Amino acid sequence: MIDAPTLFAIVLMAGVTYLTRIGGYVVLRNRVLSVRATAVMEAAPGCVLISVIAPAFVSRNPADLLALAITLVAATRLSMLPTVVIGVASAGLLRHLIG
Amino acid sequence: MSCAPVLLGTIPYALVLGAQATQKGLSTVELSMMTGLNFAGGSEFAAIQLWTSPPHILLIVAITFLVNSRHLLMGAALAPFLRELSRRKVFPALFFMCDESWALGLADAKQRAAAGIAPAFSPRYYIGAALAMYLTWVSFTTLGALLGPMLGDVETYGFDMAFPAVFLVLMRGMWKGVAAARPWLVSLVVAALVYLFVPGAWYVAAGAVAGLVAAWLMAGDA
Repeated sequence: MIDAPTLFAIVLMAGVTYLTRIGGYVVLRNRVLSVRATAVMEAAPGCVLISVIAPAFVSRNPADLLALAITLVAATRLSMLPTVVIGVASAGLLRHLIG
Repeated sequence: MSCAPVLLGTIPYALVLGAQATQKGLSTVELSMMTGLNFAGGSEFAAIQLWTSPPHILLIVAITFLVNSRHLLMGAALAPFLRELSRRKVFPALFFMCDESWALGLADAKQRAAAGIAPAFSPRYYIGAALAMYLTWVSFTTLGALLGPMLGDVETYGFDMAFPAVFLVLMRGMWKGVAAARPWLVSLVVAALVYLFVPGAWYVAAGAVAGLVAAWLMAGDA
């Protein structure tokens, strides 16, 4: 049910996340961050998220690329649920049609 | 209550995460522990996407830190409103600080400050919103994990596209104009190239670091 390396990874994730939650309050509350430091911190979450899904952008399957393009357009206009539905439906359908 | 639409919005996202986690080999108990102890959706999506058996612990923890580094700025922004509270109350309250509870709590505090109400920060309002978010998140990710095995192989039906969909919507929420998004493009290009030419999961670290360096360098133009 609970595997040791998995448990270890989960506990470390939780610890690191809690540190980010209290870190701003404890360390940064009386400090003025430099423009560069703020820019880096603001860019960080987006940089990680796009890096994680980067393989989808260089897929060799045209059906996947087309579905990704449709999902990207949906994401700029719609909220979470419709975007996920459109993304999943277009990927499922296009893979079936194009292969 | 003002957080009802926010709560409803997280449900599909929670179900998708739970279902995907079981496809990656996590048990329902493990997934509930992750969402209950970590309670930060973006990092959980990133971790599940990169999950292997056994997990690459250093990679998962580093990515979790980077995705959640925004909490540092959020906590700093909230700090002036927490002055009247004892640390004994602040530290547990901060465990529940997520994008939604932070935004609702801060907006409420600013409204009360503008109306001349002191203290501006209402711990009851914040904890109410935060606990509602927490319970919704943990219960619906768990439900997703219970339903996940019934869905079968995710790729056949296109369920794997849920990840890019969720990530792109999250990024739209972070969008602050083309100039601020240039580091993201650097990350995308570097991560894609490393993915194509270097074996293993180095592409995530390479893409993230390249984007952060770009953000550092580009901030000089502003």
